[in-house]
Amino acid sequence: MLQKRILATLLSLAVLLAMFAFPALAEEQVKLTYYSTSAEVNTMFEEMFVEYNKLFPNVVIELIPTGVGQGQQEQLASLYASGNAPTFMNIDPANALDYKDKLYYFDENNETWLSNLAPGAIEAGRLDGNILGIPFSIQGYGLNYNKRVVESIIPDFDPASINTRDALQAFFEKLDAAGVPPTMIHGANWSVGSHYLGLTYAVQSPETEGGKAFIEGLMRGEIDIAQDPIFQGYMDTFDLLVKYNYNKADPLVGDYNADTQAFAQGKCATFFMGDWSWTVIGAYENRDEEFGFIPIPWSNDPEAYGNSQVVATMPKIMCVDVSQSTPAQQKAALEMLRWMLTEPAGQEYFIKTGFSMPYTNVRDADYNSMTSSIADYMSKGKTINIGAFVYLTGDAWTKTGDLMLKYMVGVIDRTQLAQGINEYWRNVQ
Amino acid sequence: MSNMKLHKKMGLFLVFAGPALFAFISVLLLPLIQGVVFTFTDWNLVSDKFSFIGLQNYQTVFRDREFIAQFLLTIKYVLYSSVLSNLAAFTLAYLLTSGMRGQNLLRGAFFLPNLIGGIVLGYIWKFIFSNVLTQLGKSLGIEVLSTSFLTHPQRAIWAMIIVTVWQYAGYLMMIYIAGFVAIPQETQEAADLDGAHGLSRLLRITIPLMVPSFVICLFISISRGFMTYDLNLTLTNGGPFGSTQLAAMHVYQKAFLAKQYGIGQAEAIVLFIVVALISVTQVMLTKKLEVEA
Repeated sequence: MLQKRILATLLSLAVLLAMFAFPALAEEQVKLTYYSTSAEVNTMFEEMFVEYNKLFPNVVIELIPTGVGQGQQEQLASLYASGNAPTFMNIDPANALDYKDKLYYFDENNETWLSNLAPGAIEAGRLDGNILGIPFSIQGYGLNYNKRVVESIIPDFDPASINTRDALQAFFEKLDAAGVPPTMIHGANWSVGSHYLGLTYAVQSPETEGGKAFIEGLMRGEIDIAQDPIFQGYMDTFDLLVKYNYNKADPLVGDYNADTQAFAQGKCATFFMGDWSWTVIGAYENRDEEFGFIPIPWSNDPEAYGNSQVVATMPKIMCVDVSQSTPAQQKAALEMLRWMLTEPAGQEYFIKTGFSMPYTNVRDADYNSMTSSIADYMSKGKTINIGAFVYLTGDAWTKTGDLMLKYMVGVIDRTQLAQGINEYWRNVQ
Repeated sequence: MSNMKLHKKMGLFLVFAGPALFAFISVLLLPLIQGVVFTFTDWNLVSDKFSFIGLQNYQTVFRDREFIAQFLLTIKYVLYSSVLSNLAAFTLAYLLTSGMRGQNLLRGAFFLPNLIGGIVLGYIWKFIFSNVLTQLGKSLGIEVLSTSFLTHPQRAIWAMIIVTVWQYAGYLMMIYIAGFVAIPQETQEAADLDGAHGLSRLLRITIPLMVPSFVICLFISISRGFMTYDLNLTLTNGGPFGSTQLAAMHVYQKAFLAKQYGIGQAEAIVLFIVVALISVTQVMLTKKLEVEA
């Protein structure tokens, strides 16, 4: 009996000692936290971090995930305010700009691996003159079209042939005559307010500065958007989309699942949306396989910027915190970024998930038809630069998006819409 | 000696009330004070620096036509939803204490919606309004139902009221049932002997004796109505085009989306004061109506 007790005591003592001894042995262990706003790929990061820990046992990375549609800005703000800032993260460039005083400035001389980025890609992370983050994926949007449906009516359809509004109208009329609803608008303020109306600002100039200057002009009240030909042009095209909208009977439902499903199954020919919808569409049964993008022309000049291009953008960038992270953590985070973005093993995770990476050393891969279409426009240099979106204020898409929805259902006319947009920007502080 | 007693009393007080007091101070009182302080600043939620700008935020609040419009909408929503949910709850409680068959099962059934959280509830009803009712309307050829309730500004706010009534009626019903059960049998019988039956007994005996229940139920429905956010977010998300955005949602968007934290916080304080004033007035007025059996 006594022996047993001694044995038990010794055993528990050994366990206790082991518990204290372990951290001492693995002294160099670094704990990092990673905040991801790419909510649809949380598991990708989880698996990647487990793998990385196997390769480098002294680095433990914990994922701070977000849910789809969850408040990302708000969560980041609370992480920072509570002293739990993530060591590194992927966030929107606009958010990175807000936190510029707390983030690491990348330097092409220190981080030599940045030379693997595709030409010009680094610009997505250069904000106010400093490289605040590194892009990792290309996404794009325009008028997405269902190849099977369109080609059943127009056998040798060439998307490049739609480079004027008249061409778009003729295209819609042909589809309509064949009894296929020509297009679909997703009746949500983020789609019509941010993505559609945003084109008005971005197309002002191929350079980010041009769009930024336009937004600043609106804020100062020097520009009346009603006088802007690009705005008027895009709204004329919008009228066309509204006229041929598949959701015409009840345009404001804005049910993302219902809309993507209808488009994937060919119930309408085109859909104003981006290639991110593949993450949902790819999972549907009884859907079509081949999709592509058509530009959204705002005028009848085939040469005008925006009429033969679609939007391609690097929506998220990887940033490293310096305000609450130790130098050791920062170093480990930078090394991890190098591995994840430029080593084949790291890149594989993104490729498998379907991300098109803006890197020159990335292996060839078969992407889904939507992503390939965007990549095709990129390789031809036929893209719209929406860098100016970084300078849109946090609630611009809800406020101006609500105005666009009102216009869509005819509650206000175009004069009132323009007035409302002017008013929003003039009251921004 | 008396010092010892005081110490002992203090100790006892802290043992029993301490944890609750600590929680109250740390999660309610301190944030409230901190919030009030922020209303005098131009903090943008991110920066480490901010400056004090006096009462400027409050001036902005009262000049914000959108906030005032949404505040009025909130008052309308609270008015309709609390009147209707109390009416429904009282009626249900009256029926379910009259000794009808299966009343315990029905009590449970009506209480059930209250056990579902506001977020889930919003999604369920969104599906009902957008998919179920529209299908029904299309197949039966009813024009009104063929488009979603949630895409018309007027109908969307009524959709919110309907769901709120559906959710709260069961909860308030429980309080009313307790009120009904608490009325002494002798009083009822005495009233019967004195010739008060049916409606007149309800109006002259039952309702006056149940004023305490009304005080509580009105307070709950009014104060909760003003705070509504979860249902607003999931059912309509403020839409169509911001027409059903209630005050709480506006506050949240100002503070966290527009990053004008000071203004958002000032709006929250204004909301707090108005709700406090209305609730206190309501409790004081209805308390006066209380009678002893």
